[in-house]
Amino acid sequence: MLRGLSRDVDPVSAPFAWETGPDGRRELVGTRVTQCALSRICGACAESLGRPIAFVGDDLEVARNAFHAPPLHESCAEALAAVEPSWRVVRTAAFEFVRPTSEDLDRRPVFQPSALLE
Amino acid sequence: MAISDVREYMHLTEEQVEELGRELDQIREEVEASRGADDAAYINRLIRIQRGLAAAARVTLMVTPHSRKTRVPGAVLGASLLGLAKILENMEIGHNVMHGQWDWMNDPEIHSSNWEWDTAQPAEQWKHSHNYVHHQFTNVLGYDNDIGYGILRMAREQRWNPANLGQPVYNALLATLFQWGVALHDLDVEKIRKLEKDPAEMKRQLKQIVRKGRNQILKDYVVYPALSGPQWRTTLKANATANLTRNLWSYVIIFCGHFPDGAMHFTEEEIEDETRAEWYLRQILGAANFEGGELLHILSGNLGYQIEHHLFPDLPSNRYGQISVRVRELCAKYDIPYTIGPLHQQYGQALRTIIKLSVPNSWTSDDKPPQPPAKPDAPEAPPVDKGRKSDAERPPRRSELGAWSRGKQAS
Repeated sequence: MLRGLSRDVDPVSAPFAWETGPDGRRELVGTRVTQCALSRICGACAESLGRPIAFVGDDLEVARNAFHAPPLHESCAEALAAVEPSWRVVRTAAFEFVRPTSEDLDRRPVFQPSALLE
Repeated sequence: MAISDVREYMHLTEEQVEELGRELDQIREEVEASRGADDAAYINRLIRIQRGLAAAARVTLMVTPHSRKTRVPGAVLGASLLGLAKILENMEIGHNVMHGQWDWMNDPEIHSSNWEWDTAQPAEQWKHSHNYVHHQFTNVLGYDNDIGYGILRMAREQRWNPANLGQPVYNALLATLFQWGVALHDLDVEKIRKLEKDPAEMKRQLKQIVRKGRNQILKDYVVYPALSGPQWRTTLKANATANLTRNLWSYVIIFCGHFPDGAMHFTEEEIEDETRAEWYLRQILGAANFEGGELLHILSGNLGYQIEHHLFPDLPSNRYGQISVRVRELCAKYDIPYTIGPLHQQYGQALRTIIKLSVPNSWTSDDKPPQPPAKPDAPEAPPVDKGRKSDAERPPRRSELGAWSRGKQAS
């Protein structure tokens, strides 16, 4: 158990920022996403982030440079992407945490990598 | 109070709040677009100066104690240089680096992921207690543990307890031992007291604190004094003085950020639903600036621009001065309070609050500025409904953290 969670954390099978919903699908937990963003911890293993910072997302998120999943270690991102074929990994040195406006239909915050690395 | 109850904000329509948010977004975008070599040069120069000061201090304290002529002036000079170095490292460098203000440089050293600062609190715990808990729940009673650091009653909404009579003493102790108070901050004393703290998590955090605290003590009170040989006592005293100076300074600066009379407290329970513009508003209303020259701002980590820091915690601190001009204009345009005053006034107000709130509310008067009258052009107009619940519409609630209770129930 880590950071007060009542369950164990595993970067792939039980990542910190996700919980399994009633339909069996993994869903991001809003408060933990914010915690990861501001505390600068990995959304998968919940340990302090390293360099580079990685994000996972589908093609649309990559094209928009706006990701819903929190920042990750590079190795955690690669492990998560290996089990979710639609996800790609993007590396960055920095990111912006963008809160939703009242006009946004999707009221989840997004992460915008602001110093993309090759 | 809930955001919905804040008179200073009730005159704004939802569209105006969103427009304010867009104007603040515009400021952010402009600063991000113009970040570059000059900013990088600023932080690199500051780190060089800080390290130079620290090295000069350590050498002075190693060399000067051995002669009677130089012992006292050397100790004074060494303690001053070291205190200055610690202040710069904690305030303008460490605090801001750990916010990610310089991550965009992709510098392997100056990055929020791996910066460890010269104070007893482990960086990881600071990033949780400060970057997340304090910046996300700014001045929200029952959430933001920076409101009195778990030992001081700082808002009239918090229930008075006879233990609060000791506040002036607790405050003096907190100021003197500030780095150790901060070191224990993320443990969340209130959660421990209510037996809500996960024992495994507490053990993990305590291990980190003991390891970091031990290293700090070894460095300042064993290794460097030992390098001064037989005159180790002089160096030890000078190091203790430098740490005390840093403690008092950082305490004063931090208490000026949210406890002067104009800074508001909130009991908002719908933070998760807050829009970006509303979040901006809460940051403006809950923070307070102080005035001063460039050197004062650098030594205070640019936290004299506390409002701008809370609006844009991850923009480079050297830009807060220029940002403040525009934020102040926006506050005037939208008729929102912008709390600012000289440092001595802001700290004086915070100290007065600490002393006044050591006794029950009925014994003292409230020093918060009077709420503004309704707009002259719409004297009878009801507050604009923004679809958010006010305090009156919420079920009664009392949290034992800071033991706050609402309104008239507070004794």
